[in-house]
Amino acid sequence: MDFEFTREQLMFKEEVIRFAKKEIAPRCAEHDLKGEFDLESFRKMGEFGILGLHFPEEYGGQGADVVTTVMAGEALGEAGVDGGLTLAYGAHTFLCADTLFRHGTEVQKRKYVPKLASGEWIGCMGLTEPGAGSDVASMTTEAVKQGDKYILNGSKIFITNGPIADVAVVYAKTDPTAKHAGISAFVVEKGTPGYTTGEPLKKMGMKTSVTSELFFNDCEIPAENLLGQEGMGFLMAMETVEWDRSALLAPFIGSGAFLLKKCTDYAKKRIQFDRPIGKFQAVKHRLAEIRIMTEAARGLVYRIAWCKDQGRPLNHLEAAVAKLFVGDWSLSPSNDAMLIFGGYGYCHEYDVERVFRDSRLAPIGGGTSDIQKMIISRLM
Amino acid sequence: MNYDFTEAELLFAGEVEKAAAQMPLAPASGTFFSNAEIKAALGLLAKTPYLAVGLDKSAGMGAVIHMASMESLASLAPSMALCVEMSTRVFGRLLAAHGSDVAKEKVLKPLLAGNLVGAVALSEGAMNVENDPFSTQGLEQGDGFSVTGAKNWVVNAPAADVIAVAGRVGDKVAFFLVPAGAPGLLVEAPATTMGYEAAPLSGLSLENCAVPRDMILGPFDAKTILAEARELENLVLLGLALGAMKSAFGQAKAHAKSHKSGGKPIIAFQEVGFKLSEMLTMLQASELLAFRAAWLAEKGDKATADVLLCAKVFVAECAEKVTGEALRILSGAGWTGTGPAQGAFRNAKWSQIAGTSTEIARVKIGDSALGYK
Ligand SMILES: Cc1cc2nc3c(=O)[nH]c(=O)nc-3n(C[C@H](O)[C@H](O)[C@H](O)COP(=O)(O)OP(=O)(O)OC[C@H]3O[C@@H](n4cnc5c(N)ncnc54)[C@H](O)[C@@H]3O)c2cc1C
Repeated sequence: MDFEFTREQLMFKEEVIRFAKKEIAPRCAEHDLKGEFDLESFRKMGEFGILGLHFPEEYGGQGADVVTTVMAGEALGEAGVDGGLTLAYGAHTFLCADTLFRHGTEVQKRKYVPKLASGEWIGCMGLTEPGAGSDVASMTTEAVKQGDKYILNGSKIFITNGPIADVAVVYAKTDPTAKHAGISAFVVEKGTPGYTTGEPLKKMGMKTSVTSELFFNDCEIPAENLLGQEGMGFLMAMETVEWDRSALLAPFIGSGAFLLKKCTDYAKKRIQFDRPIGKFQAVKHRLAEIRIMTEAARGLVYRIAWCKDQGRPLNHLEAAVAKLFVGDWSLSPSNDAMLIFGGYGYCHEYDVERVFRDSRLAPIGGGTSDIQKMIISRLM
Repeated sequence: MNYDFTEAELLFAGEVEKAAAQMPLAPASGTFFSNAEIKAALGLLAKTPYLAVGLDKSAGMGAVIHMASMESLASLAPSMALCVEMSTRVFGRLLAAHGSDVAKEKVLKPLLAGNLVGAVALSEGAMNVENDPFSTQGLEQGDGFSVTGAKNWVVNAPAADVIAVAGRVGDKVAFFLVPAGAPGLLVEAPATTMGYEAAPLSGLSLENCAVPRDMILGPFDAKTILAEARELENLVLLGLALGAMKSAFGQAKAHAKSHKSGGKPIIAFQEVGFKLSEMLTMLQASELLAFRAAWLAEKGDKATADVLLCAKVFVAECAEKVTGEALRILSGAGWTGTGPAQGAFRNAKWSQIAGTSTEIARVKIGDSALGYK
């Protein structure tokens, strides 16, 4: 066992940090306060190569391995890129583009993946429904085959990038009588008649990612928009779990390093009782907690990435452990950071407040912590 | 990067596990393991490369698989694991790194063969947690030193063949290798303890105890050598804490799967199943962090000090939580039975208070982040 990153991986991470600190992080606070998606930054991420990092070059990517891809996510967090933008990137690249890449026909792959890798197009993925969250198999959105078409009816909720997406990967039942085995995946393009999106939802955090409902009213799509085969949708959604438990968790780890830097800078400058607050043991303890939790999370997330690089099937127990840890245990660093900043930490002006709000999604999105515990207890 | 162990490493881990399964949980007679009983355990391990890991390159096994094997050893034979590791990985590694040729021949050689039990005497009554300054000191006398002082809480002291006693030499620090029965050495009776009950632990005093020059490690810059000793001890404490978690979790899981309530195994209730999930999450996060700390330490990476302290705090505190939760799941079966969980719960505390205490570790991690000191 060894935990060494290659020189190239480390250099690339530094490059991403430099890029993100210069080009993206300075814009985050403004967009967070307005609750606006930062399209310019998103496109810059595309230009830099982050959005399509792991795709082969012929599809507009850079052919990076999974560990490197996870490092890029960590680097974005470390540079102070807000959770909203990294969530938008995660949903776009891993939940949408990767599914198209894996299961699309060659024509679909050529049509969508390069555009998504560059950021010219934005992608989203619709799985969750108002009545089917943790229990996805109870979804009611239906796709009925009529000749060479499918007719979609139903709605999705909490869809990251929903209102701005050019293309959506949508899960719907082709066999309503079956549970998981009745779910199929489809590509739906913006502007398709019968497909509309709701107003952006007002959220506590991740404010620069736009989240909305998707509506399907007799939405006709060509039969070739079915991804893979009928009934394979749930398995496809599960495949994205590999990314969800690695690349999508990575920014949370990176934000631990970001918080530590912010907090140490502040604790050295903020004077109370005639000395920097960093001289007080209780403040040092909080700084230590941030570092400890960040270190503890790292191994679990990179283990998933490394195993994926080896081409191994996902170990669902280890994946759930990684998600549960990042979701639950990693909430404490952003809390500690806010407390170190005192009243200032409660104000928008300081980044720690944003990280605190953004981090609250970790135990909810992509499968709640309870669901992870359910998976672990069943598998152990 | 590689998250797998090699086949050779797994084979080695299997051998260690087999050896550990043959070790006694409690002494055959009396309350504490005797010198002979510890040597018997060391003898079992000497048939594998275990004792040589970190001491002799010929071991062919690295720090990470050692950490994993120490976890198994500590889960199966916790008190003996403490005796073995304090003798081998703390006493032995200091000796291997700094001993004279004579000391290596006389002490290290039998230690590696499983024929010698060592101990390290650091703590003193009126000392701060940094072990600085010592009241124990060595004064030059003839071709060696005369050592006088007193030490507290020395694991293995009552059963050791040789004790490495830390003391001042001017403004530096040396370890004096004092054999059992040396004139002037008085080893106290073993203390009764909350955990690791069978591991003999006691105070000792030295009165003009003569130590020849070639049986001294150092003298060294005090900060450097004490940091080194603490690092070795902290690594051992990680392995012990992992072992406590592993055994308690294992017992609780087996119980939750077999014990029924309302006609179904209690693991089927979220109250129990979810608790076990959190425990397993803590165990896996602890293992990976401890493995990385061991790996960094072996490489001599500059991140070692910080990551090891992070691991010390995290793993030691998870050990208390996991073993405590195990007892809640086991309920009466844990309170009354002979399973490992209740012992693991008591043992887990040791990894927090010994070595760099978790509170001091936090201060050090904070200082390092702040760039203080
Ligand atoms: C900002 C944001 C972005 C999102 N992005 C997307 C996206 O892009 N695409 C997408 O498809 N979805 C997305 N989601 C949806 C997300 O995955 C779901 O919110 C999540 O899976 C939980 O579903 P739910 O909200 O319906 O909660 P519910 O399933 O209703 O759960 C409510 C509570 O009950 C608990 N619970 C439920 N079942 C059990 C059980 N069996 N045992 C114990 N406890 C249980 C849960 O843990 C939770 O505490 C997003 C959500 C948010 C908030």
